[in-house]
Amino acid sequence: MRYLLLVSIWLAAGCRSAYEGVRIASARPCIEAFQPEFSRVVYSAQAEVAGRHLTGLLMIKAMPDSSIRMVFTNEAGFKFFDFGFSGDNFTVYYITEQMNRKAVLKTLRKDFELILMQHTRQPFAVIRKKDEWYYDFKNGKDHYYYITDSACSSLLRMERGSSRKKVVEAYLGNFTNHMPDTIAIRHVNFNFTITLQQLDDDAAE
Amino acid sequence: MHKVWLAGIVLLTSLCAKAQYKGYGTMKDEAVFRAQFKEASRKINTIQSDFVQEKNLSLLDDKITSRGKFWFRRENAVRMEYTSPFQYLMVVNGTDVYIKDSKKENRLSSGSNKLFRQINRIMIDCVNGNALDSKDFTVQLFSGSNDHLIALTPVEKTLKTMFSHVYIFVDKGDFSVTRVEMHEPSGDHTLIRFVNRQMNVNLPDALFVAR
Repeated sequence: MRYLLLVSIWLAAGCRSAYEGVRIASARPCIEAFQPEFSRVVYSAQAEVAGRHLTGLLMIKAMPDSSIRMVFTNEAGFKFFDFGFSGDNFTVYYITEQMNRKAVLKTLRKDFELILMQHTRQPFAVIRKKDEWYYDFKNGKDHYYYITDSACSSLLRMERGSSRKKVVEAYLGNFTNHMPDTIAIRHVNFNFTITLQQLDDDAAE
Repeated sequence: MHKVWLAGIVLLTSLCAKAQYKGYGTMKDEAVFRAQFKEASRKINTIQSDFVQEKNLSLLDDKITSRGKFWFRRENAVRMEYTSPFQYLMVVNGTDVYIKDSKKENRLSSGSNKLFRQINRIMIDCVNGNALDSKDFTVQLFSGSNDHLIALTPVEKTLKTMFSHVYIFVDKGDFSVTRVEMHEPSGDHTLIRFVNRQMNVNLPDALFVAR
Protein backbone atom coordinates (compact mmCIF):
# COMPACT_ATOMS: atom_id res chain seq x y z
CA MET A 1 0.00 0.00 0.00
CA ARG A 2 2.85 2.32 0.95
CA TYR A 3 4.56 1.32 -2.29
CA LEU A 4 1.41 2.17 -4.28
CA LEU A 5 1.27 5.57 -2.57
CA LEU A 6 4.91 6.29 -3.44
CA VAL A 7 4.32 5.25 -7.05
CA SER A 8 1.24 7.48 -7.19
CA ILE A 9 3.20 10.46 -5.84
CA TRP A 10 6.03 9.79 -8.28
CA LEU A 11 3.60 9.50 -11.19
CA ALA A 12 1.81 12.67 -10.17
CA ALA A 13 5.12 14.53 -9.98
CA GLY A 14 6.25 13.07 -13.29
CA CYS A 15 3.03 14.03 -15.03
CA ARG A 16 3.23 17.64 -13.92
CA SER A 17 2.75 19.90 -16.90
CA ALA A 18 5.71 21.96 -18.10
CA TYR A 19 3.17 24.68 -18.78
CA GLU A 20 1.44 24.81 -15.42
CA GLY A 21 0.91 28.32 -14.15
CA VAL A 22 -1.61 31.06 -13.59
CA ARG A 23 -3.79 31.65 -16.62
CA ILE A 24 -4.25 35.31 -17.42
CA ALA A 25 -7.77 36.09 -18.62
CA SER A 26 -6.84 38.97 -20.87
CA ALA A 27 -3.48 40.14 -22.10
CA ARG A 28 -2.53 42.56 -24.80
CA PRO A 29 -1.22 40.96 -27.98
CA CYS A 30 2.41 42.02 -27.81
CA ILE A 31 4.14 39.08 -29.49
CA GLU A 32 3.94 40.34 -33.08
CA ALA A 33 6.58 42.94 -32.26
CA PHE A 34 9.12 40.13 -31.93
CA GLN A 35 8.38 38.51 -35.27
CA PRO A 36 11.61 38.37 -37.29
CA GLU A 37 11.49 39.99 -40.72
CA PHE A 38 13.68 37.87 -42.96
CA SER A 39 14.00 40.09 -46.02
CA ARG A 40 17.11 38.21 -47.22
CA VAL A 41 19.69 36.57 -45.03
CA VAL A 42 22.25 33.76 -45.25
CA TYR A 43 23.22 31.74 -42.19
CA SER A 44 26.05 29.34 -41.59
CA ALA A 45 24.19 26.26 -40.37
CA GLN A 46 25.32 23.45 -38.09
CA ALA A 47 23.09 20.52 -37.24
CA GLU A 48 23.65 17.63 -34.86
CA VAL A 49 21.32 14.76 -35.68
CA ALA A 50 21.61 11.57 -33.63
CA GLY A 51 25.38 11.96 -33.31
CA ARG A 52 25.93 13.05 -36.92
CA HIS A 53 27.33 16.46 -37.73
CA LEU A 54 26.00 18.35 -40.73
CA THR A 55 26.98 21.83 -41.90
CA GLY A 56 25.93 24.13 -44.70
CA LEU A 57 24.34 27.42 -45.64
CA LEU A 58 20.72 28.38 -45.04
CA MET A 59 19.23 31.20 -47.07
CA ILE A 60 15.98 32.72 -45.82
CA LYS A 61 14.28 35.13 -48.19
CA ALA A 62 10.95 36.98 -48.31
CA MET A 63 9.37 36.57 -51.73
CA PRO A 64 7.25 39.18 -53.58
CA ASP A 65 4.10 37.14 -52.79
CA SER A 66 4.89 37.52 -49.03
CA SER A 67 5.86 33.87 -48.65
CA ILE A 68 9.17 32.93 -47.04
CA ARG A 69 11.63 30.62 -48.81
CA MET A 70 14.31 28.59 -47.05
CA VAL A 71 17.07 26.91 -49.02
CA PHE A 72 19.70 24.74 -47.38
CA THR A 73 22.85 23.78 -49.29
CA ASN A 74 26.20 22.41 -48.25
CA GLU A 75 29.27 24.64 -48.56
CA ALA A 76 30.05 23.33 -52.06
CA GLY A 77 26.57 24.27 -53.29
CA PHE A 78 24.75 20.95 -53.24
CA LYS A 79 21.15 21.63 -52.29
CA PHE A 80 19.50 19.63 -49.49
CA PHE A 81 16.10 21.30 -49.38
CA ASP A 82 14.07 24.26 -50.59
CA PHE A 83 10.94 25.03 -48.54
CA GLY A 84 8.22 27.67 -48.87
CA PHE A 85 6.16 29.04 -45.95
CA SER A 86 3.03 31.09 -46.44
CA GLY A 87 0.59 31.42 -43.55
CA ASP A 88 -0.44 27.86 -42.70
CA ASN A 89 0.78 26.56 -46.06
CA PHE A 90 4.03 24.70 -46.45
CA THR A 91 5.54 23.84 -49.84
CA VAL A 92 8.42 21.48 -50.50
CA TYR A 93 10.05 22.81 -53.68
CA TYR A 94 12.94 20.39 -53.37
CA ILE A 95 14.36 17.86 -50.94
CA THR A 96 17.10 15.27 -51.45
CA GLU A 97 16.02 11.66 -51.64
CA GLN A 98 17.90 10.87 -48.41
CA MET A 99 16.00 13.54 -46.47
CA ASN A 100 12.62 12.95 -48.07
CA ARG A 101 11.00 11.26 -45.07
CA LYS A 102 7.63 12.20 -43.60
CA ALA A 103 9.04 12.55 -40.06
CA VAL A 104 11.98 14.71 -41.24
CA LEU A 105 9.71 17.04 -43.20
CA LYS A 106 7.23 17.32 -40.34
CA THR A 107 9.95 18.11 -37.81
CA LEU A 108 11.71 20.69 -39.99
CA ARG A 109 8.42 22.33 -40.94
CA LYS A 110 7.33 22.75 -37.32
CA ASP A 111 10.78 23.89 -36.16
CA PHE A 112 10.97 26.60 -38.80
CA GLU A 113 7.32 27.61 -38.32
CA LEU A 114 8.17 28.17 -34.65
CA ILE A 115 10.99 30.61 -35.41
CA LEU A 116 9.11 32.27 -38.28
CA MET A 117 6.19 32.75 -35.85
CA GLN A 118 3.77 31.50 -38.48
CA HIS A 119 0.96 30.68 -36.04
CA THR A 120 0.82 33.89 -34.01
CA ARG A 121 -2.17 35.37 -35.78
CA GLN A 122 -4.52 32.95 -34.08
CA PRO A 123 -6.31 33.40 -30.69
CA PHE A 124 -3.98 32.79 -27.80
CA ALA A 125 -3.88 32.07 -24.12
CA VAL A 126 -1.42 33.50 -21.62
CA ILE A 127 0.10 31.59 -18.73
CA ARG A 128 2.15 33.29 -16.04
CA LYS A 129 4.87 31.18 -14.51
CA LYS A 130 6.98 33.05 -11.96
CA ASP A 131 8.42 36.02 -13.89
CA GLU A 132 7.83 34.54 -17.33
CA TRP A 133 4.75 34.95 -19.48
CA TYR A 134 3.93 32.17 -21.92
CA TYR A 135 1.94 33.28 -24.98
CA ASP A 136 0.34 30.03 -26.08
CA PHE A 137 -0.81 29.69 -29.72
CA LYS A 138 -2.53 26.42 -30.59
CA ASN A 139 -2.23 24.89 -34.03
CA GLY A 140 -3.84 21.46 -34.28
CA LYS A 141 -2.40 19.37 -31.45
CA ASP A 142 0.67 21.57 -31.20
CA HIS A 143 1.15 24.50 -28.90
CA TYR A 144 3.58 27.23 -29.92
CA TYR A 145 4.78 29.13 -26.85
CA TYR A 146 6.51 32.51 -27.00
CA ILE A 147 7.95 33.34 -23.62
CA THR A 148 8.54 36.93 -22.57
CA ASP A 149 9.35 38.84 -19.42
CA SER A 150 6.37 40.17 -17.45
CA ALA A 151 6.41 43.53 -19.26
CA CYS A 152 6.60 41.80 -22.66
CA SER A 153 9.68 43.93 -23.38
CA SER A 154 11.85 41.04 -24.51
CA LEU A 155 11.31 37.61 -26.05
CA LEU A 156 13.19 35.14 -23.86
CA ARG A 157 12.70 31.99 -25.96
CA MET A 158 10.28 30.01 -28.08
CA GLU A 159 8.95 26.54 -27.39
CA ARG A 160 6.76 24.01 -29.12
CA GLY A 161 5.04 21.12 -27.41
CA SER A 162 1.73 19.83 -26.21
CA SER A 163 -0.31 21.43 -23.46
CA ARG A 164 1.87 19.51 -20.99
CA LYS A 165 5.25 18.66 -22.50
CA LYS A 166 7.96 20.65 -24.21
CA VAL A 167 9.24 19.15 -27.49
CA VAL A 168 11.58 21.82 -28.80
CA GLU A 169 12.97 25.17 -27.71
CA ALA A 170 14.47 27.95 -29.81
CA TYR A 171 16.44 31.10 -29.12
CA LEU A 172 16.82 34.09 -31.43
CA GLY A 173 19.61 36.53 -30.60
CA ASN A 174 21.15 39.87 -31.59
CA PHE A 175 18.54 41.40 -33.87
CA THR A 176 19.69 43.81 -36.59
CA ASN A 177 17.06 45.25 -38.94
CA HIS A 178 14.50 42.85 -37.38
CA MET A 179 16.66 39.84 -38.33
CA PRO A 180 18.34 37.68 -35.70
CA ASP A 181 22.10 37.22 -35.95
CA THR A 182 21.95 33.82 -34.24
CA ILE A 183 19.27 31.14 -34.01
CA ALA A 184 19.42 27.98 -31.93
CA ILE A 185 16.84 25.19 -32.09
CA ARG A 186 17.10 22.28 -29.65
CA HIS A 187 14.89 19.23 -29.36
CA VAL A 188 14.47 17.99 -25.82
CA ASN A 189 13.31 14.44 -26.51
CA PHE A 190 16.00 13.41 -29.00
CA ASN A 191 19.46 14.50 -30.07
CA PHE A 192 18.71 17.12 -32.70
CA THR A 193 20.00 20.67 -32.60
CA ILE A 194 20.31 23.35 -35.28
CA THR A 195 22.46 26.44 -34.79
CA LEU A 196 22.52 29.29 -37.28
CA GLN A 197 24.99 32.17 -37.43
CA GLN A 198 24.38 35.02 -39.85
CA LEU A 199 26.98 35.42 -42.59
CA ASP A 200 28.09 38.69 -44.05
CA ASP A 201 27.70 37.68 -47.70
CA ASP A 202 27.38 40.30 -50.38
CA ALA A 203 23.98 39.89 -52.03
CA ALA A 204 24.67 42.60 -54.58
CA GLU A 205 27.70 40.90 -56.16
CA MET B 1 7.68 13.07 -98.17
CA HIS B 2 10.36 15.74 -98.63
CA LYS B 3 8.38 18.04 -96.33
CA VAL B 4 8.44 15.42 -93.54
CA TRP B 5 12.22 15.05 -93.90
CA LEU B 6 12.64 18.82 -93.93
CA ALA B 7 10.48 19.23 -90.81
CA GLY B 8 12.51 16.49 -89.12
CA ILE B 9 15.80 18.18 -89.97
CA VAL B 10 14.53 21.58 -88.75
CA LEU B 11 13.34 19.98 -85.48
CA LEU B 12 16.64 18.17 -84.93
CA THR B 13 18.62 21.31 -85.72
CA SER B 14 16.60 23.35 -83.25
CA LEU B 15 17.02 20.66 -80.56
CA CYS B 16 20.78 20.58 -81.16
CA ALA B 17 20.92 24.36 -81.02
CA LYS B 18 19.11 24.31 -77.67
CA ALA B 19 21.65 21.87 -76.27
CA GLN B 20 24.44 24.34 -77.04
CA TYR B 21 25.67 26.90 -74.58
CA LYS B 22 25.07 30.51 -75.63
CA GLY B 23 28.07 31.95 -77.45
CA TYR B 24 29.56 28.56 -78.25
CA GLY B 25 29.41 26.67 -81.53
CA THR B 26 30.23 23.18 -82.66
CA MET B 27 33.90 22.30 -82.33
CA LYS B 28 35.53 21.91 -85.75
CA ASP B 29 38.10 19.25 -84.93
CA GLU B 30 37.23 17.32 -81.80
CA ALA B 31 40.05 14.81 -82.22
CA VAL B 32 42.66 17.58 -82.24
CA PHE B 33 41.13 19.20 -79.15
CA ARG B 34 41.01 15.87 -77.30
CA ALA B 35 44.67 15.23 -78.05
CA GLN B 36 45.73 18.77 -77.09
CA PHE B 37 43.65 18.80 -73.91
CA LYS B 38 45.00 15.44 -72.76
CA GLU B 39 48.58 16.40 -73.57
CA ALA B 40 48.26 19.72 -71.70
CA SER B 41 46.58 18.01 -68.71
CA ARG B 42 49.32 15.36 -68.65
CA LYS B 43 51.90 18.11 -68.20
CA ILE B 44 50.06 19.59 -65.20
CA ASN B 45 51.34 18.10 -61.96
CA THR B 46 50.05 20.78 -59.61
CA ILE B 47 47.59 23.67 -59.69
CA GLN B 48 47.32 26.51 -57.21
CA SER B 49 44.44 28.89 -57.70
CA ASP B 50 41.96 31.17 -56.03
CA PHE B 51 38.32 30.43 -56.70
CA VAL B 52 34.99 32.21 -56.62
CA GLN B 53 31.92 30.04 -56.17
CA GLU B 54 28.39 31.21 -56.96
CA LYS B 55 25.37 29.19 -55.96
CA ASN B 56 22.59 30.50 -58.19
CA LEU B 57 19.08 29.89 -56.94
CA SER B 58 16.86 30.38 -59.97
CA LEU B 59 13.45 30.48 -58.30
CA LEU B 60 14.66 32.86 -55.64
CA ASP B 61 16.43 35.00 -58.23
CA ASP B 62 19.37 35.13 -55.85
CA LYS B 63 22.85 33.75 -55.35
CA ILE B 64 25.32 32.96 -52.58
CA THR B 65 28.92 33.89 -53.37
CA SER B 66 31.88 32.35 -51.57
CA ARG B 67 35.63 32.50 -52.11
CA GLY B 68 38.66 30.46 -51.30
CA LYS B 69 41.82 28.74 -52.41
CA PHE B 70 42.22 25.60 -54.48
CA TRP B 71 45.16 23.22 -54.77
CA PHE B 72 45.50 20.12 -56.94
CA ARG B 73 48.28 17.58 -57.13
CA ARG B 74 48.40 14.70 -59.56
CA GLU B 75 47.01 12.03 -59.41
CA ASN B 76 44.11 12.67 -57.13
CA ALA B 77 44.80 15.08 -54.31
CA VAL B 78 42.64 18.19 -53.94
CA ARG B 79 42.44 20.82 -51.24
CA MET B 80 39.61 23.38 -51.26
CA GLU B 81 39.71 26.01 -48.57
CA TYR B 82 36.74 28.37 -48.32
CA THR B 83 37.80 31.60 -46.66
CA SER B 84 34.85 33.95 -47.21
CA PRO B 85 32.15 34.45 -45.99
CA PHE B 86 32.70 31.24 -44.01
CA GLN B 87 35.62 28.98 -43.10
CA TYR B 88 35.49 25.45 -44.50
CA LEU B 89 38.25 23.09 -45.52
CA MET B 90 38.01 19.93 -47.59
CA VAL B 91 41.01 17.77 -48.44
CA VAL B 92 40.63 14.76 -50.70
CA ASN B 93 43.65 12.50 -51.09
CA GLY B 94 42.90 9.26 -52.92
CA THR B 95 39.99 7.77 -51.02
CA ASP B 96 40.72 9.73 -47.82
CA VAL B 97 38.65 12.79 -47.08
CA TYR B 98 39.27 15.38 -44.36
CA ILE B 99 36.68 18.05 -43.61
CA LYS B 100 37.02 20.88 -41.13
CA ASP B 101 34.27 23.41 -40.52
CA SER B 102 34.18 26.18 -37.95
CA LYS B 103 33.44 23.72 -35.15
CA LYS B 104 34.46 20.19 -36.04
CA GLU B 105 36.93 18.02 -37.91
CA ASN B 106 35.79 14.92 -39.75
CA ARG B 107 37.76 12.19 -41.47
CA LEU B 108 36.04 9.76 -43.75
CA SER B 109 36.62 7.55 -46.72
CA SER B 110 35.01 8.56 -49.99
CA GLY B 111 35.10 4.88 -50.89
CA SER B 112 32.42 4.21 -48.29
CA ASN B 113 30.03 6.83 -49.66
CA LYS B 114 28.79 6.46 -53.23
CA LEU B 115 27.63 10.07 -53.56
CA PHE B 116 30.87 11.48 -52.20
CA ARG B 117 32.85 9.15 -54.45
CA GLN B 118 31.01 10.45 -57.53
CA ILE B 119 31.42 14.12 -56.59
CA ASN B 120 35.08 13.51 -55.82
CA ARG B 121 35.55 11.85 -59.19
CA ILE B 122 33.92 14.73 -61.11
CA MET B 123 36.15 17.24 -59.33
CA ILE B 124 39.35 15.31 -60.03
CA ASP B 125 38.34 14.44 -63.62
CA CYS B 126 37.74 18.12 -64.33
CA VAL B 127 41.29 19.12 -63.50
CA ASN B 128 43.35 16.11 -64.55
CA GLY B 129 41.86 15.85 -68.04
CA ASN B 130 39.93 12.60 -67.60
CA ALA B 131 36.53 14.28 -67.96
CA LEU B 132 36.53 13.51 -71.68
CA ASP B 133 36.61 9.77 -70.97
CA SER B 134 34.13 9.69 -68.07
CA LYS B 135 31.75 6.74 -68.19
CA ASP B 136 29.26 8.58 -65.98
CA PHE B 137 28.56 11.24 -68.62
CA THR B 138 28.02 11.71 -72.32
CA VAL B 139 30.42 14.34 -73.64
CA GLN B 140 29.80 17.14 -76.16
CA LEU B 141 32.44 19.63 -77.23
CA PHE B 142 31.93 23.25 -78.26
CA SER B 143 34.12 26.26 -78.99
CA GLY B 144 33.75 29.94 -78.08
CA SER B 145 35.89 32.95 -78.91
CA ASN B 146 38.17 32.60 -75.86
CA ASP B 147 37.65 29.09 -74.60
CA HIS B 148 36.40 25.59 -75.29
CA LEU B 149 33.42 24.03 -73.56
CA ILE B 150 33.18 20.43 -72.44
CA ALA B 151 29.48 19.72 -71.82
CA LEU B 152 28.81 16.66 -69.68
CA THR B 153 25.37 15.10 -69.40
CA PRO B 154 25.01 12.44 -66.68
CA VAL B 155 23.96 8.92 -67.61
CA GLU B 156 24.38 7.41 -64.13
CA LYS B 157 21.15 7.30 -62.09
CA THR B 158 22.32 9.10 -58.91
CA LEU B 159 24.16 11.78 -60.88
CA LYS B 160 21.04 12.39 -62.98
CA THR B 161 19.12 13.39 -59.84
CA MET B 162 21.87 15.87 -58.96
CA PHE B 163 22.84 17.39 -62.29
CA SER B 164 21.22 18.06 -65.64
CA HIS B 165 24.58 19.18 -67.10
CA VAL B 166 28.11 19.90 -65.97
CA TYR B 167 29.96 22.46 -68.10
CA ILE B 168 33.75 22.68 -68.00
CA PHE B 169 35.35 25.71 -69.64
CA VAL B 170 38.88 25.27 -70.93
CA ASP B 171 41.26 28.12 -71.83
CA LYS B 172 42.17 28.10 -75.54
CA GLY B 173 45.75 29.09 -74.79
CA ASP B 174 46.97 26.70 -72.12
CA PHE B 175 43.98 24.28 -71.96
CA SER B 176 43.58 24.85 -68.23
CA VAL B 177 40.11 24.71 -66.64
CA THR B 178 38.89 28.25 -65.99
CA ARG B 179 35.31 27.59 -64.91
CA VAL B 180 33.03 24.71 -63.91
CA GLU B 181 29.25 25.00 -63.92
CA MET B 182 27.08 22.34 -62.30
CA HIS B 183 23.46 22.66 -63.41
CA GLU B 184 20.72 20.97 -61.39
CA PRO B 185 17.42 19.63 -62.78
CA SER B 186 15.60 22.32 -60.71
CA GLY B 187 17.24 25.11 -62.74
CA ASP B 188 19.71 26.10 -60.02
CA HIS B 189 23.40 25.97 -60.76
CA THR B 190 26.75 26.27 -59.01
CA LEU B 191 29.53 28.10 -60.81
CA ILE B 192 33.18 27.86 -59.75
CA ARG B 193 35.60 30.29 -61.41
CA PHE B 194 39.32 29.65 -61.02
CA VAL B 195 41.39 32.84 -60.95
CA ASN B 196 45.11 33.55 -60.44
CA ARG B 197 45.92 30.05 -61.67
CA GLN B 198 49.49 28.83 -61.25
CA MET B 199 50.59 25.54 -62.77
CA ASN B 200 53.31 23.21 -61.60
CA VAL B 201 54.30 25.18 -58.53
CA ASN B 202 55.91 23.25 -55.71
CA LEU B 203 53.22 22.31 -53.20
CA PRO B 204 54.10 20.95 -49.74
CA ASP B 205 52.78 17.50 -48.76
CA ALA B 206 51.17 19.03 -45.68
CA LEU B 207 48.51 20.64 -47.88
CA PHE B 208 47.09 17.25 -48.78
CA VAL B 209 47.18 15.47 -45.44
CA ALA B 210 43.72 13.95 -45.06
CA ARG B 211 44.34 11.70 -42.05
